[in-house]
Amino acid sequence: MTPFTQRLLGACALALCLQPLAHATETDPAEVNLDYAYYSPVSLVLKHFGWLEQALPDSKVGWVLSQGSNRSLEYLNSGGVDFASSASLSAVLSRANGSPIKSVYVYSRAEWTALVVRKDSPLNSVTDLKGKKIAATKGTDPYLFTLRSLQKAGLKKDDVELVHLQHPDGRTALEKGDVDAWAGLDPHMAASEIQAGSRLLYRNKDFNSYGVVSVTEKFAKAHPQTITKVIGAYEKARDWAVKHPDEFARLLADESGLPLEVARLQLSRTDLSTPFLSSKDVVSSKAAAPILVSEELVRKGVNVDQVIDQLIDTSFGH
Amino acid sequence: MSVRALLDIHVARKRFADTTVLKDVRLALQPREAVSLLGPSGCGKSTLLRIVAGLEQDFQGELRRPDGEVAFVFQEPRLMPWLTVEQNIGFSDDNHYDRAWVTQLIEEVGLKGFAQALPKALSGGMAQRVAIARGLYSRPQVLLLDEPFSAVDAFTRMKLQDLLLQLAEHHAIALLLVTHDVDEALYLSDRVLVMDNRPSSIRQALAVELPHPRDRRDPRLAQLKALSLTALQQAHVI
Amino acid sequence: MTSKTQAVPLATPLAINRSAWPRRLKGLVLPVLILLVLEVVVRVGWLPSYQMPAPSEIALTLTDLAEGALWKHISASLGRVVLGFVIGASLALVFAAWVGLSREAEAYLEPTFAGLRSIPSLAWVPLLLLWLGIDETSKIVLIAIGAFFPVYLNGVAAIRDIDRKLVEVGQMYGFSRRRLVRRILLPAALPGLFTGLRSGLSLAWMFLVAAELIAATKGLGYLLSDGRETSRPDIVLAAIIVLALLGKVSDGLLAALEKRCLAWRDTFQGAGQ
Repeated sequence: MTPFTQRLLGACALALCLQPLAHATETDPAEVNLDYAYYSPVSLVLKHFGWLEQALPDSKVGWVLSQGSNRSLEYLNSGGVDFASSASLSAVLSRANGSPIKSVYVYSRAEWTALVVRKDSPLNSVTDLKGKKIAATKGTDPYLFTLRSLQKAGLKKDDVELVHLQHPDGRTALEKGDVDAWAGLDPHMAASEIQAGSRLLYRNKDFNSYGVVSVTEKFAKAHPQTITKVIGAYEKARDWAVKHPDEFARLLADESGLPLEVARLQLSRTDLSTPFLSSKDVVSSKAAAPILVSEELVRKGVNVDQVIDQLIDTSFGH
Repeated sequence: MSVRALLDIHVARKRFADTTVLKDVRLALQPREAVSLLGPSGCGKSTLLRIVAGLEQDFQGELRRPDGEVAFVFQEPRLMPWLTVEQNIGFSDDNHYDRAWVTQLIEEVGLKGFAQALPKALSGGMAQRVAIARGLYSRPQVLLLDEPFSAVDAFTRMKLQDLLLQLAEHHAIALLLVTHDVDEALYLSDRVLVMDNRPSSIRQALAVELPHPRDRRDPRLAQLKALSLTALQQAHVI
Repeated sequence: MTSKTQAVPLATPLAINRSAWPRRLKGLVLPVLILLVLEVVVRVGWLPSYQMPAPSEIALTLTDLAEGALWKHISASLGRVVLGFVIGASLALVFAAWVGLSREAEAYLEPTFAGLRSIPSLAWVPLLLLWLGIDETSKIVLIAIGAFFPVYLNGVAAIRDIDRKLVEVGQMYGFSRRRLVRRILLPAALPGLFTGLRSGLSLAWMFLVAAELIAATKGLGYLLSDGRETSRPDIVLAAIIVLALLGKVSDGLLAALEKRCLAWRDTFQGAGQ
């Protein structure tokens, strides 16, 4: 039974049961589910050391692997996870399309995406991509990076053929020759560079959005204490990561099953320094948002700036 | 003056697996003659008919078929359900059947106006008429019939028997008929061949020397029936 | 001349239907009811609209799509289904005829087909992607596989089911093998074949969606995954609705053809008229 159905069936029963507790002090939920991903290296640290389980002794902590922002946001919306790791622009897209979510923490600021081509590819610039096939995972940062890059080169998304493949499959498709370019994401992108000699056709740090942890509005209202505890545990993990770079790289390599050099390459492009959301982040998201409107990814008539204001919750910063 | 028989068959032996069904059966059919094979179920009379038709080829003996056509009418009408009455009658000629001939046959069997009807719209008796017409289409010299009227009611049966006689007379066809109905055999045939249980052979040949058209109430038919029944009794059939 | 006795219906209806409503309208009652209930439930807020959009919202999305890329997606999907179905069904008919008519062929081929048949649709996807890439070929092949088995199965059964008595009529006329097939076996097997074709078509649609969910750039299945990835459940539902409509229409066309070709059948039509 999906949580969706659970909600439908248990609504009345739950209401009855929880009535006496409605005015009690906030307690942590009985079950807390988080996602972890290879594009969020700190999540791997957190999961590995079990600090969250220590911070929430009365709750059952569950971990779900996410293959991309699109998946983690899907899990968040369907109740599969309570905390989702995604690119900030993907979270904006999701919120703009009606999902009641709130971003509460920055897990990394990385240059984690670029347009990748095979090492022997004749393509040299973004304009060369006209009419070509590009593998990109819809709803994720690499996808939005691609759109922004195309726009900069004067192309629209209909000028190319965007093939929707999840990140690892996109890499395979590129290396097999099924597509001409791939909107890559670390660590798969780093792995492709190192293992297959793939080339980064186009890089642009500004077109990468930072990574956020998001929760549903409902969760934020009901369990602010839990969120603080989770962020606290994340901070502990981040602290360790910064202080132990070599072990960090080794951990990432072990968890993702990729060679150590790949992990190192990914981490070299990852910035863990400012984990808390601020007005600067609001501004940067607003600067990036127009692509969502111009490529018609959001419904007509949506005020994206307003969406960003509602999405980003800076109250959980120090 | 002996007229060369139209059809001549001698089955020395016919076996199905380990059972011998027919043993030393001889039969000759003269032109325009109507012969009935009378006997119990399973005695091999249908098998004999099928051998004559060429549907059974594994037997010991000789078969001399007539130079002309031989047609078969089954116990069930066996019409192609997706074809009209007209198309069914002309079935052996695919799509280029002789329309005029078919129309005439339809009228002769008493189904005028039903040329475009589908088999699902026909009653049992009507369907069997179409089967007979189909048999006549190839202008056969011999018409083989395997219990052709056993599936219809008694009144329809009588009508169809009269029709058969009419058609045979009109088109100069010899009939070889298999039946288990004594009255039918006597009403239709010039000769009735009584067959016994398997291994079966022709036990007795009864000549019915009554002119057509026959009256079912004719006492001579009743006498012949008595003879037939005696023969059947002696054959331990009844 | 004997007159035909009128066929009496086996079960006389208990109450004579006096309703003036044409039959078609009755079929619409249930869907309309469901839509109304959903609309109310979502507007009131019992179901969150980001998980179950209101029907009116979906209608709006459909109109938007219709003004834009919907037709591109429809034509892409239709093209794939038609091509895959035609290929799969044709191959199936050939094999069904072969296996149905020849005991030898059956002995050699049937066990292999039985094994292949039990492979679930989604299991084919990674294999086809690996061998044939992410282009149209792998999608068409997947759809053809889907259409193949129902048509083949029903075809063989239909041929085996043919009344021996009818075949004997042909044998009596001395028909050659080919003539027997053409004049008796094929028409007699047609009802079963049509059942297989309709079943194959609906499976073709199903396999189409599976094929388009993975690595597509256009089509209704692509639209479906599009809505999923960008948190647009209204697009998801719109795609589902269009798929259902197209499936229904294509089946309807096949059913009409079936009715026309099989008007000669003498079968039970259902009680109550």
